[in-house]
Amino acid sequence: MIILDSVTKSYRVKDVEKRILDDVSFEFPAGQNIAIMGHNGAGKSTLMRMVAGIELPTAGIIRRDEKVSWPLGFASGFNGLMTGTENVRFVARIYGEDSDQVLDHVKAFAELGKSIDLPIETYSSGMKARLAFGLSLAIDFDCYLIDEITAVGDRRFKERSSAALNDKIKNARVLMISHAEKTIRDYCQMGVLLYGAQLYYYDSVNALIKDYRRFC
Amino acid sequence: MPYATTSDRRGTRGTGFFGTLALQIRVIVALTLRETRMTFGTSHAGYFWAIVQPLISISFLVFLFYLIGRQAPYGTSLALFFATAILSLELYNKMSVSLMRAFTSNKALLTYPMIKRTDTLFARAFLICCTFIVINMIFYTGLITLGLAPLPHRPEEIILAFLATLALGLGIGSINAILYQKFQAWQHIEKLFARPLFFLSGVFYIPSSLPPEAVAVIRWNPILHIVEWVRTGYYANYDSQVLDKFYVLSFAATLVVAGLFWERITRKV
Repeated sequence: MIILDSVTKSYRVKDVEKRILDDVSFEFPAGQNIAIMGHNGAGKSTLMRMVAGIELPTAGIIRRDEKVSWPLGFASGFNGLMTGTENVRFVARIYGEDSDQVLDHVKAFAELGKSIDLPIETYSSGMKARLAFGLSLAIDFDCYLIDEITAVGDRRFKERSSAALNDKIKNARVLMISHAEKTIRDYCQMGVLLYGAQLYYYDSVNALIKDYRRFC
Repeated sequence: MPYATTSDRRGTRGTGFFGTLALQIRVIVALTLRETRMTFGTSHAGYFWAIVQPLISISFLVFLFYLIGRQAPYGTSLALFFATAILSLELYNKMSVSLMRAFTSNKALLTYPMIKRTDTLFARAFLICCTFIVINMIFYTGLITLGLAPLPHRPEEIILAFLATLALGLGIGSINAILYQKFQAWQHIEKLFARPLFFLSGVFYIPSSLPPEAVAVIRWNPILHIVEWVRTGYYANYDSQVLDKFYVLSFAATLVVAGLFWERITRKV
């Protein structure tokens, strides 16, 4: 269960106030894979950060009673000076997981070989993405927040990650931001459109994509 | 308008008092290990340098006083007299400077929902606390073994003074962290306050022996009281006309409350 209760989110950049959500109340239906669409700068990523609990709404309450991942996307929480292994162990520790076990999982998925013991700053963006995605898969979340992550990496990584994700969503669900209509159709059954600081709910992906094309 | 909040009944934030406590401990332990790694590197040389720094300050002062042929202002050991001041001053400075950068250098960590800005402050403070416990023990044990110092008269007073320094550093450090995040220039302004402390904290003189006009001014400095506190704890007959424990403790408590309160009202993440 993830509920937004009268949530408003706005922030100031210089003297311009940007309002992303204006008194929105919405319940993300339980157990469903949900797409989040909207034009660039509508605030999809900020919405996702609020759902994850790493950004506070300006007003209102967000309730969740499932284990939600951090948003998986371009920005990672890795420390560039620490090695892959050290970063993985750190995240395993804060989530209360067994760090050896998590590390084994990540090694198997990310296929970094000996690079796992090099500082992250020496990694390419594809290697970082593999590590981050592998790490999120190694921890069992109820809800994976995915912010365009399927757009990174080479073909092999894309195939492996979509296979892994398909396997995961047998027992978990995703909230997914993507501009790629195919990706949305592959994973989601329903969706929301973020438009004009309001959330519009669609119980079919086709209707969502139709309106996305029309308005965004 | 409902106030801004997020709640978590199952998952990343822990449930109930013990769940939340367990999570908090887990996060602080993980962050502290990470800070240790970042501060000292992977080799043991890092720890060595942390200890060498106050050792150099103290040796330099001892050497200087020896050169001009001066006696210790109190007691027979120059090294002990300086150590009772420098160790507290260094602890305070370390807290103030290191916590100042806690928010800006840990931004990436806020990707993980259970890590709050304040956790990065607490983890740094905890690491500095542990480091200085070790430094203090090495120093005093070293001085006692070399015959340069007697056993401390009332060790519990030294420990209390140490805790008061930590609280003071945590308070100033959190305020520094907020200010530094708002204006980068704060790091230079902070130095203007920190520099004179060496001269105003009784490192190389006995405050009670200064003229009353001077004492009236420097007694506003909380570090001076902490130095006096350590000395009354170490020396059997050190009679301080200046020490006011209530002043230091209320000063520290006010700063901690103000710092954490300010952090909460400026919190966006």
